[in-house]
Amino acid sequence: MIRKTRMSLVTFVLRPVVIVLLFAGVFGLVYLRSNVTKLEYSLGELEKKKVQCLRDQKMLFAEKTSQLSFARLESSPDNRDGFILPDRLRVVHVSKDAGSLPRYASLKQKHVAGP
Amino acid sequence: MSKKRAVILHTAIVASFILISLRLADLMIFDHKRLQARAQQQHIKVEDVQVRRGMILDRRGRELALNLEVESLYCDPEALKTHSEKMRKLASFVDIHPTRMLARIPDEGRFAWIKRKLPPQTAEQIRALRIEGLDFITEAKRFYPKRELASHIIGFVGIDNQALEGVELQYDKYLTPKGGKILLERDASGKTLSSGVTVEAKGNTIVLTIDEVLQRVVEKELDRAMKQWKAAAASAIMMDPYTGDILALASRPAYDVNEGGNARPSARRNRAITDCYEPGSTFKLVIGVGGLEERRVRPDTLFDVGKGSIQVGGKTIHDVHKYDVITFKEVIQKSSNVGSIMAGMRLGKENIYRYAKLLGFGERTGIDLPGEVSGWIMKPEQWSGTSIGAISIGQEVAVTPLQMLRAYSAIANGGLLVRPHIVSEIISPENRVIASFRNSENHRVVSEKTANTFRDILKSVTEEGGTATSASIDGNLVAGKTGTAQMIDPVTKRYSRDMYVSSFVGFVPADAPRFAMIVIVYKPKGAIYGGVVAAPVFREIVRQALSYLNVPREDSLGQRALLVSR
Repeated sequence: MIRKTRMSLVTFVLRPVVIVLLFAGVFGLVYLRSNVTKLEYSLGELEKKKVQCLRDQKMLFAEKTSQLSFARLESSPDNRDGFILPDRLRVVHVSKDAGSLPRYASLKQKHVAGP
Repeated sequence: MSKKRAVILHTAIVASFILISLRLADLMIFDHKRLQARAQQQHIKVEDVQVRRGMILDRRGRELALNLEVESLYCDPEALKTHSEKMRKLASFVDIHPTRMLARIPDEGRFAWIKRKLPPQTAEQIRALRIEGLDFITEAKRFYPKRELASHIIGFVGIDNQALEGVELQYDKYLTPKGGKILLERDASGKTLSSGVTVEAKGNTIVLTIDEVLQRVVEKELDRAMKQWKAAAASAIMMDPYTGDILALASRPAYDVNEGGNARPSARRNRAITDCYEPGSTFKLVIGVGGLEERRVRPDTLFDVGKGSIQVGGKTIHDVHKYDVITFKEVIQKSSNVGSIMAGMRLGKENIYRYAKLLGFGERTGIDLPGEVSGWIMKPEQWSGTSIGAISIGQEVAVTPLQMLRAYSAIANGGLLVRPHIVSEIISPENRVIASFRNSENHRVVSEKTANTFRDILKSVTEEGGTATSASIDGNLVAGKTGTAQMIDPVTKRYSRDMYVSSFVGFVPADAPRFAMIVIVYKPKGAIYGGVVAAPVFREIVRQALSYLNVPREDSLGQRALLVSR
């Protein structure tokens, strides 16, 4: 008699729990699946944006490269005197080895070593 | 009664479940493959991997060719709603006459191109029209940001990005990656879900040996020469004589590489490697080098050229100016035809031919650009009675500008013949060097002593008394040789009296060359001599190039420099 009562109690408790878990599981699966799909949509949109950004990046890069071409710099109206290469008469080559030549110019020390 | 109904109900439910299970088994097990294929067809989209050509860079990493992502307009003829006002606007945006545009659209089918590779602004304008049945596909467009610069080197591609000329063609297999297909999931409305798979395949990057600034300097000066001398064409090549690295290579006329398909064939010709010319006096290098190497002449060997002309095989060949007795060094310095023929006769035809071949004439240099020709020199047994005279002064031979430059580079580097090349490295998209062409295949063709002796002779050409004083520059010694050759008149098939090829080839600084260079001007008007037409172009390029390359003046070495501290 006592045993029969105990069985009924277990059944009484477990049955709704199992049913609830079953429904919760099914719901969870559906919910998870819908969220994954939602995420895939968002990722798809983001990928589209990424492709658009990469396209813009390529355009800007090409624009920058065109602007920085030597021919353009030479003929730029801002460069009124023309982009010119330095006059070699005014370029001083500082040799590391030649003893009689200035060997070391340091901006830090504000001093030029040498003769 | 209620029990009986319950049994019927239960039986019906069980039977239904059995039927459902059987149907499920049919769908999921027996008809699985067919249905899966149908489902995939509905929600899996197969797309081509987008193939993007690799970039082309100069030796300092400056971009010369890259890709843009642009949109191409197509229509679905069955779905197209042709609203006359909108179609007229569309035609104006794509710059096609409305009737011609409508003619492009077939009556049947689901796809037809309207206009490919549109500028972004135009694509936006068309999108704003909201014409049903029109859509866009993103495609890669090759873009050359430096336009005309190095057009004959880089080459160009067609509408489908297929390589057509230049490095684009020569290195196509490295620039174009393998394509393929990818699977993308989509929903019922056709919306694509994220796959996480890369849909782009990038090609390898090609690093050239040319330098954008040097290339620009060379092209600018060629343009100036073309204008000044109203020339038909011009070419120049600058090369590192030790490694064979081409630093600049230009031909005129040129073309905008972005419009390569529309360029005239004459503008697309890479004359530096595809055109042969009779070199004239620059070919005296062969006589000089052969004579010195075979000890048939020395720099101080005397030649009596007082008559100002010489008879060879019944043909009289004249000097431009009359000289008396001059040394072999002066023969080259003053470019005496008579002296050169005398030296050629001492050397003999077998030796002339041998040294011409040794210096690379009559065969391709092996440069990695398409279309190179081998030039032409007859075998000694085919020579006529006048050939030894003609060949000694650079006639009856056909050379390319690059061959001539390579031969002079052998003098500049001490006697080694280099293999010119235009590509230095190939870099994979993962930034790994997959091929390097820095290892040159140099081989000795003349002794160092002969090369040094002839170099000293070439130095005198740009000094007082030489034919190319206009090639000399302040601060550094220039070694080189002028050339003036008559062209064959295509009508009379004889040497023309007014069509010449003027050239100058040399290297600088003469004793430790940073580069060798050849300048050729075809059919100049107003002057014809290499020393007048080509040598000044050489000087102007050298002046700027030495400044850019930071080459010290030789006359300042050992002098004290005044530095002012800040």
